[in-house]
Amino acid sequence: MPALKFNLPGTLTILAVVGLWEFAVRSGAVAFDYLPPPSAVFVAWGGLLLSGEMLMQTVHTLRAVLIGWVLASAIGIGLGLLLGFSAWARRYLLASLELLRPLPAVAFLPLALLLFNFSLTTELVLIVYASIWPVLINTMGGVMSVGTQLYDVGRTLRLSRARTLIKVILPAAAPAIVVGCRLSLGLTLVMAIIAEMLANPHGLGYAVVSELQAMQPQRMFAYVFFIGLLAIALNGALIGASRWFLRDHAVSSHE
Amino acid sequence: MNERWRFQIGRLTAGLPPARGLLPLLLALALWQAFGPRHSPYAPPPSAWWDSVRTMLQNGKLMPALASTLVTFALAMVIATIVGGALGLLIGRSRTARRALGPLLEFCRGLPPPVIVPVAVLLLGYAESLKLLVVAWVAIWPILLNTASAASLLDELMLDIARTFRLDRLTTLRKIILPAVVPDFLLGLRVAVPLGIIITLLVEMLTSLPGIGSLIVISQRQFRSADVYGLLVVVGLMGFVINSLFAMAEQLLLRRWPPRAQEMR
Amino acid sequence: MAGETTAAHDHVFECRGLGLELAHHGARRRIVDDITLDVRRGEFLTIVGASGTGKTSLLRLLGGLVPASHGTVSFLGKPVASPPEGVVVVFQDYSHALLQWRTVAANVRLGLEGVIGRAECDERVRQALAMVGLERCADDHPWQLSGGMQQRVQIARALALRPAVMLMDEPFGALDAMTKAALQDELLRVHAQTGTSFVFITHDIEEAVYLGDRVVVLGGPPGRIHKFLPIELPRPRDQIHTRQMPEFLRLRLDIHAAVLEAGRDQHDARA
Repeated sequence: MPALKFNLPGTLTILAVVGLWEFAVRSGAVAFDYLPPPSAVFVAWGGLLLSGEMLMQTVHTLRAVLIGWVLASAIGIGLGLLLGFSAWARRYLLASLELLRPLPAVAFLPLALLLFNFSLTTELVLIVYASIWPVLINTMGGVMSVGTQLYDVGRTLRLSRARTLIKVILPAAAPAIVVGCRLSLGLTLVMAIIAEMLANPHGLGYAVVSELQAMQPQRMFAYVFFIGLLAIALNGALIGASRWFLRDHAVSSHE
Repeated sequence: MNERWRFQIGRLTAGLPPARGLLPLLLALALWQAFGPRHSPYAPPPSAWWDSVRTMLQNGKLMPALASTLVTFALAMVIATIVGGALGLLIGRSRTARRALGPLLEFCRGLPPPVIVPVAVLLLGYAESLKLLVVAWVAIWPILLNTASAASLLDELMLDIARTFRLDRLTTLRKIILPAVVPDFLLGLRVAVPLGIIITLLVEMLTSLPGIGSLIVISQRQFRSADVYGLLVVVGLMGFVINSLFAMAEQLLLRRWPPRAQEMR
Repeated sequence: MAGETTAAHDHVFECRGLGLELAHHGARRRIVDDITLDVRRGEFLTIVGASGTGKTSLLRLLGGLVPASHGTVSFLGKPVASPPEGVVVVFQDYSHALLQWRTVAANVRLGLEGVIGRAECDERVRQALAMVGLERCADDHPWQLSGGMQQRVQIARALALRPAVMLMDEPFGALDAMTKAALQDELLRVHAQTGTSFVFITHDIEEAVYLGDRVVVLGGPPGRIHKFLPIELPRPRDQIHTRQMPEFLRLRLDIHAAVLEAGRDQHDARA
């Protein structure tokens, strides 16, 4: 990874935006009733951290994200491998999947609510259903795009079918599978927040909505920015993890 | 004439998976219909879904909701396309702009879309414009970032060609820069379209502003499960139609560009 | 054209009327037709022909990677139905034939893992790498190496299996002239040291003469044997001296003429 050069213009821009915001609110130039200045947001943030409330909500969301992601990856990889290796499975399953895939997972939320009420189950069902797709598609695509050459190599070296699959084909498909899992994680966070806003009164999503309803704009904004930073941190961590996992593979230009 | 039609249809359907693949879905629906409890609050059979959709059509609940959702979505996409495309071009062509705005844009892009809704509600109140602005805001980012990236990677060679032919700025823009960024712009749009549908529904669900999303939530609160399932199918069809239209438009537009390697969504 | 045959126990491969048909857009096309050919033990056989003469398909038939449609191919007396033990194929596209995520040593080990014990495995890998001069690169990854070195890794991987025959599909086609020359000499050294038989496909006539004991000229499509030419040049061969010998130049001319003739016959047959 290239050394991170300190981005002076970028940092200055952000500081300028924050400064402008502070000034605009304090001086009354901007007339939004409920827009708090950044200083108030910062203070609220400190309070939430100290009281442990933000931590509690974060733990809930992260737990749901982790469980959902692991489940979605497991199912997605399993199905993806099946579809990737078996032309028969593709012939009899693909059209149904293609019809289901574009259905917005959000639309399933009321249904999940009907079936499972306000609970963690609802949240997990939504997360898993939505997050399966990137993993499935990328795994299937990854397996199918392994060139015939590698199969020939396995055969000319007289490797057993199992050995060929495990030692040659799967590692070759690994980069695509890892990308699928990475895309899935971002989606997991989004779906968790959606579920928490509508169907499970816990976690960061719920916190944002409840602060809105309690007319606490500083705390709401504190949560909003925290979620943004969390998303960036998660993505960064994941990019690092996938780089480590694929460290032996040739340097890939696709991220 | 028949030959040409068959060829065109063949081209359109070439990428589709074999129709046999619909069997599991049809089978599941058939079994559900045959063995599902008629008046179950949790799993009403497909015939009940159809009945409820018809009822909603007849008593004038469905069409206005559908119209509201579609109109908001379409308008928001137009705004996002124009603003995202224009800004993307401007930012992409300027190195300082890219460096200065980079972190800010990354933050905005990384911010999970659902979080925008409460912020917008706080600032704008429950107005119709809220829906439009939120969807437009969310849809702008993929378009803007993809266009900016393409604009920044423009082959210097092409710009040299423009200079050699002494083309003025407007012509350069029209004939050289725009065609070069169109494929990536469309890629951003391809991400933005399904995202736009999702966010439109989400806003409706969260704020109960009129639309299919709020219709589903209302049905869920009234425990009208057949309505919920039926509306789910309607949403699915809506999404399918929109995505197909977009895919066809994309095909038409990209006719003259060299084919790209198979993209995985 | 009748194939040349010698005493049966001297052969590693025997082909009689070998043919291959493949389905192509609905129609069946004959890729290779009526190949009657023997590969002698310890021989370096080179195959030349224009594109479309089915050279690669012939190699795949010998390697058991594709089943024959007509005729027979047998290895050490037994018919070839799947890749036989003792035969290894080396492919032209080395970057896609190697496992880029494994080290060089791990790549060379691939055919031996689980078949022989760890200690013997490591020893064979060491020997194979030494034979191609890559001992110092054992812990590198293929993508860190040049094209020539990657191809050597593939050769080492095949050598580690101590095969009776190595089948090579234009292995040096993607390399520059100097790397090619170095690898040619390396291959000849391996041939001399191990006594392995080689079937080597190339479209480079000079390479075919330089390396081979015998050259097969294919014509077509469909691929048919047009001519056999024995190479009676002294071994060990030398890039500078051998290539200047009058016999070398004569052979080069003969083969070139044969290739053109094969092309003309094909053209006439079509007309």
